[in-house]
Amino acid sequence: MEVCTFEKVGIRGTNIVVLGVEKKSVAKLQDERTVRKICALDDHVCMAFAGLTADARVVINRARVECQSHKLTVEDPVTVEYITRFIATLKQKYTQSNGRRPFGISALIVGFDDDGIPRLYQTDPSGTYHAWKANAIGRSAKTVREFLEKNYTEDAIASDSEAIKLAIKALLEVVQSGGKNIELAIIRRNQPLKMFSAKEVELYVTEIEKEKEEAEKKKSKKSV
Amino acid sequence: MAATFFGEVVKAPCRAGTEDDEEEEEEEEEEGRRETPEDREVRQQLARKREVRLLRRQTKTSLEVSLLEKYPCSKFIIAIGNNAVAFLSSFVMNSGVWEEVGCAKLWNEWCRTTDTTHLSSSEAFCVFYHLKSNPSVFGSCPRKNMQITILTCRHVTDYKTSESTGSLPSPFLKALKTQNFKDSACCPLLEQPNIVHDLPAAVLSYCQVWKIPAVLYLCYTDVMKLDLITVEAFKPILSTRTLKGLVKNIPQSTEILKKLMTTNEIQSNIYT
Repeated sequence: MEVCTFEKVGIRGTNIVVLGVEKKSVAKLQDERTVRKICALDDHVCMAFAGLTADARVVINRARVECQSHKLTVEDPVTVEYITRFIATLKQKYTQSNGRRPFGISALIVGFDDDGIPRLYQTDPSGTYHAWKANAIGRSAKTVREFLEKNYTEDAIASDSEAIKLAIKALLEVVQSGGKNIELAIIRRNQPLKMFSAKEVELYVTEIEKEKEEAEKKKSKKSV
Repeated sequence: MAATFFGEVVKAPCRAGTEDDEEEEEEEEEEGRRETPEDREVRQQLARKREVRLLRRQTKTSLEVSLLEKYPCSKFIIAIGNNAVAFLSSFVMNSGVWEEVGCAKLWNEWCRTTDTTHLSSSEAFCVFYHLKSNPSVFGSCPRKNMQITILTCRHVTDYKTSESTGSLPSPFLKALKTQNFKDSACCPLLEQPNIVHDLPAAVLSYCQVWKIPAVLYLCYTDVMKLDLITVEAFKPILSTRTLKGLVKNIPQSTEILKKLMTTNEIQSNIYT
């Protein structure tokens, strides 16, 4: 599922989960608000997908209905694993029925459970799902994953801002035009989903660039 | 019986050998009689339409002599497909001044225009350039020392392998070379049972038959339209002997490539 898709990155921190996506360039006359990549499934769970937008819309609608239905029946909000399993089972059904084709999307689902533990899951069109500490989906997912494997350390996710910076750095590896093409969303424990505005993303990007410059200065001093 | 491209059913030739020779000959004569002068005229017209014409530069005057006789060269690089052409134009052709020396125009039933005599220069299927500063690239050596490089793309679904296709690092490069090509290719060779199709295959076969050293670089990609990652997959070729001397400014080339991408970007809302 890597044809023509833009990068999405998910990071599971200690007290925060971060979803970063590459914004695709919107046509001049197109209303930017309607091009949504990060969708809330409930107050404490959200997801980003890569692939066919129309298929994603159908899956998201079903997942949202399931979240509320679960809350009404069981009087508890869904766990991230439950809703991921629901989505994965839905996708698998479509691989085994006649007259239907599989959903052409991979999804990254993040959120906090009632016990306060952060979760990150990835599903793919076959209907399998796995838990991850950090993952990427999209065209250059391999490059981003390699970056994450090198840089995901306990220090890197120790604080919320560090986790956010890691997500942005991972996206900057493959996003062509820098900070203005990145969209970010976070969920903190017991808090609802927060979408970052372009300015807030820019702030982090400038911080990252400053840190890079300082690191390079130190390196050149050492070599001298 | 076999169905042709246009759907009509024709009698396929019998491979089992002719048992009833006389009958067949009679049938053939009958069919020959059925072909009217009009049929022959139509077929000749079609053959004339489908001729490949070589024209000098942007004008409509045709080249009287063969292009290679007028501009004999030692290195001939041909790029087929929009990704290969984008690679060549941004990395190779922006270093140094390239002069257009001719173009080839052709028409067949798949073309969208029906007018064959007034094809504009933007519809030329193949444009020939030579390096002004170093005419030996498309320059002065006789054919014996000529080396040919072919660049092209193919969809990764055409790649046959025993490995799982999910693990293929697409886009990736494979090479195929003729017997006389003594240098090593910069990427692994194309394994069996994969085969090359169309124009690149024709060029490579010609080179093999006429003992010209040639190498084909085939990029298997999952996106056939113009795409940055596919074009960058051709980068290892820049280190080969053929292209080393030609490419000077790689960062600038990357910028030119990005500009090319943005001008050609098709807005698609299907994928996110």
